[in-house]
Amino acid sequence: MHRRQALRLLASAATLPLLSREAFSLFQAAHEQLSEQRVLKTLDPHQNATVTTIAEAIIPQTSTPGAKAARVNEFIDLILTEWYDEEEKSTFLTGLADVDSRTRELYGKNFVECGEKQQVEILQALDDEVAARTEDVRRRRNRPPEKNFFFMIKQLTLVGYYTSQIGFEQELHGEIIPSRHAGCVPLEEEASK
Amino acid sequence: MATKTYDAIVVGSGITGGWAAKELGEKGLQTLVLEAGRPIDPDTDYAEHVPEWEVKYRGMGDRKRADEDQRVQQTCDGMDEWNSKFFTNDKQNPYTTEPDKPFLWIRGRQVGGRSIIWGRQSYRWSDLDFEANLREGVGVDWPIRYQEIAPWYDHVEDFIGVSGQAEGLPHLPDGKFLPPMELNCAEVVVKDAIAKYFPGERLVTIGRTAILTQRHNGRAPCHYCGPCARGCITRSYFSSLNSTLPAALTTGKVTVRPHSVVHSLMFDSKTRKVSGVRIIDGQSRDAIEFRGRTVFLCASALESARILLNSATPEFPNGLANSSGELGHNLMDHCMGGGASGRIPGNEDYIALGNRPNGIYVPRFRNVKQKHPLFLRGYGFQGSASRPKWERGVEMRGFGANFKHALSRPGPWTCTFYGFGECLPNHDNFIAIDREKVDAWGIPVIRISCAWRENERALLKDMSISASEMLSAAGAKDIEPILQDNAPGLTIHEMGTARMGRDPKTSVLNGHNQAHDAKNLFVTDGACMASSSCVNPSLTYMALTARACDYAVDQMKRGEL
Repeated sequence: MHRRQALRLLASAATLPLLSREAFSLFQAAHEQLSEQRVLKTLDPHQNATVTTIAEAIIPQTSTPGAKAARVNEFIDLILTEWYDEEEKSTFLTGLADVDSRTRELYGKNFVECGEKQQVEILQALDDEVAARTEDVRRRRNRPPEKNFFFMIKQLTLVGYYTSQIGFEQELHGEIIPSRHAGCVPLEEEASK
Repeated sequence: MATKTYDAIVVGSGITGGWAAKELGEKGLQTLVLEAGRPIDPDTDYAEHVPEWEVKYRGMGDRKRADEDQRVQQTCDGMDEWNSKFFTNDKQNPYTTEPDKPFLWIRGRQVGGRSIIWGRQSYRWSDLDFEANLREGVGVDWPIRYQEIAPWYDHVEDFIGVSGQAEGLPHLPDGKFLPPMELNCAEVVVKDAIAKYFPGERLVTIGRTAILTQRHNGRAPCHYCGPCARGCITRSYFSSLNSTLPAALTTGKVTVRPHSVVHSLMFDSKTRKVSGVRIIDGQSRDAIEFRGRTVFLCASALESARILLNSATPEFPNGLANSSGELGHNLMDHCMGGGASGRIPGNEDYIALGNRPNGIYVPRFRNVKQKHPLFLRGYGFQGSASRPKWERGVEMRGFGANFKHALSRPGPWTCTFYGFGECLPNHDNFIAIDREKVDAWGIPVIRISCAWRENERALLKDMSISASEMLSAAGAKDIEPILQDNAPGLTIHEMGTARMGRDPKTSVLNGHNQAHDAKNLFVTDGACMASSSCVNPSLTYMALTARACDYAVDQMKRGEL
C-alpha cells in the first residue's frame, strides 16, 4: 500500500489513531531507501572533520545518537554551498579556520587533534563571546548577531540534528500524525505516547 | 472559436469562485470557471505529511530561488519550503508601487487559489461593522445590514463547517459552530485572568476556524498534524479544492478551465451588458473569447479591479463599470503588528498534545460600549500560548550533553497576542493600470498606491499597550511589547476596490454585488467591501457570494438579466 492510499483511508476511518501509526511506519519504510552518503561540495576533509567534531560537541551522542550520527556535517556543507550568500559563507569558513588558530596558539595543534577538555575550553570561549554579544544587542533591543561563526554553526547543528529522522524520532519522539489532540496533559503522558 | 454561450462565467476558483461555481451549478446554470493558474492534484501536490528530512533545506526554504522568483511572496510567514508552489511567481506577475509606499501583494494562482493557503479564521460581521460608515460619515454606507447576510452566514457555515465557542456577543455574532478546539493550559490561565480583570469588556475565546472537529458533509475531522497551508489529504479544513469545487463538479453543470489568464471583459454597448471574457491561454498564449449571460468576478480584490480597469470601452474610458470613478479606489487591508508576548509561569509539568492548527481570539473591545478618544473602530487579537521546542536552543547558552538534555524538554509557556485592526476606506489608497509594464502574458499590470493613515497607526499603538495590560493581568513575566511596521498587503486581507453602496455615483456595486453600470456583472470577492471591520473577511466574502448567486439566478428566471 502506498503512503497516499493509507492517508486516503484515514479520511474515511473512524479509528484514526490506529491507522495513523500504520501510515507513519510507511514513511519510515520509504525513507530507509534514501540513505546514501552525500558528496561534500564546499568543506575539504580537514574542514569537514572540524565541523563534524564541533557539531558532535554541541549535540553529542548520549543515550540517543548525536549530530555525527545524524550527519549534520552534510547538512552544513549543503547550506554553505547552496543557501548562504558569499559573505555568510566567508564568515563561517574564516571562523572555522580561526578555531584552529586559537588551538595552535594555546596548545600547538589543530582543533581536531586536541583532547576533549581542550576542545570544550575553546568552544566555551566561543559560546561566551556569542552570549556577551547577544546580551549587548539585547540591551539595545536589537536582534541577536547572526554573522558570527559559533552562532552559525550552533544554529545549523540544531536545525540539522532536530530536523533529521534521528533527531525527530529518537530524540524528540515526534509524530507526523499525532495520536490525539488535548489541550493540557501531564508531560509524562506526552513522553510515553 | 467555440460559440457556446455559458449561463455564467466565474473568474477565479478560490474562496469566492468556488462558492459561485457550487451555487450556480446547483441552481442548474451551465457555468465556466476560468482559473489563471495550474490544476492541483491533492495526491501529488499536498505535502502536509512530508517530514522535514525529506525536504532539501530542512524547512529553511530554497532561499536563492525565492530571492529570484518570489521576492514579495517570501515576506509572508505562511510560505515555506513545502508550499511555496502555492504562492505566485512574482517575476511572471509583477506590479509596481510608489517609492515610499510599499505594498506586499501575497497571491496564489492555481485551482483553489489562496483558499489552499488561507488562515481559516472565520468570524461574522455585525451591525457594529455594517453601520459604522454611516454613523461616522466615513466612506459610503453599506447597502446591507446584518439581518440580510445572517441567513447566508448560516448557509455557508452549514456547508464548510466552522468550529468555535458561542459567546453571546452582539458585536461578534455566534455562528452554527462545530465543537470548539481545546484551549491549552496557559491559555486557560490567561482566559481566567482576563475574565476577572476585564469583566464585560474583554474575553478570550478559542479561534473560530473553518476546520472540522467532527465528521461533516463527507469530510473527515482534523487529525492535528498541524501545517494546514501545505494541503490536507483528509480535506478537514475548508478550501475550494477540498469542498466547494468538488460539490460544483458533482452537479455536472460546471467546467473548470485552468491556465486561463483573464485579460478583460467584453461589453455590448447596445444591451449595456457584459457579453463575455477574453483570456490568454497560459500555456499556448492564444487569445480566446468565452461568451456568458452573466459574469462573476471572483479573482481577488486587486485582480478583479485590474480586469475591470483593463476593460475600458468608449462608454467607460476609465474602466468598465466605473461611472462612479471609485473603481480601484478605497483599497484597505487590516493593519496588524501591535501586540505583546510574555512568559506564563506555572504548568511546567503539562503540555498540549498534537498540533492544534488554531489559536485564541480576543474579540474587539474598543469603541464597542464607549467611544475611544484617540481613534475610530477597533481591533481583535489573535494569539496562542505554547512551549518553545528545540528552536530556543539557538539563542540559549551552552552545548554538550546537558544542553541537549535541556532541549529534550519543552521551554516555559509563552503567550502572544497579535492585533488585527480595522482600516478605514480612503479614496487616496488606490490601484491604477501601469501603462509601462505588462505581465508574462502581455497584460498591463497595476500600480498600487496605499499607505496606513493616522487612525491605523493609533490602533497599532493601542494594540501594543492593551496586549501588555492583559498579559500583565495574567501574571506574565518578561513581557515584550510588539509594535511592527508592516507594509499594507501583508495581512492578505486586501479589499474595497469595487465597493458596494446605495448610490451609483459613489459606488461600483449595489447591495447584491451587482455592478450599477452592467446588471449581468457581479463582483463578489474582497473588492466589494465598503469597510473592513477588524475580523478576518473570508467568511463574509463567501456569504456575500452565495447571496449574490441566489439573487442573480432569481433575476435570470424573471428575465431581468
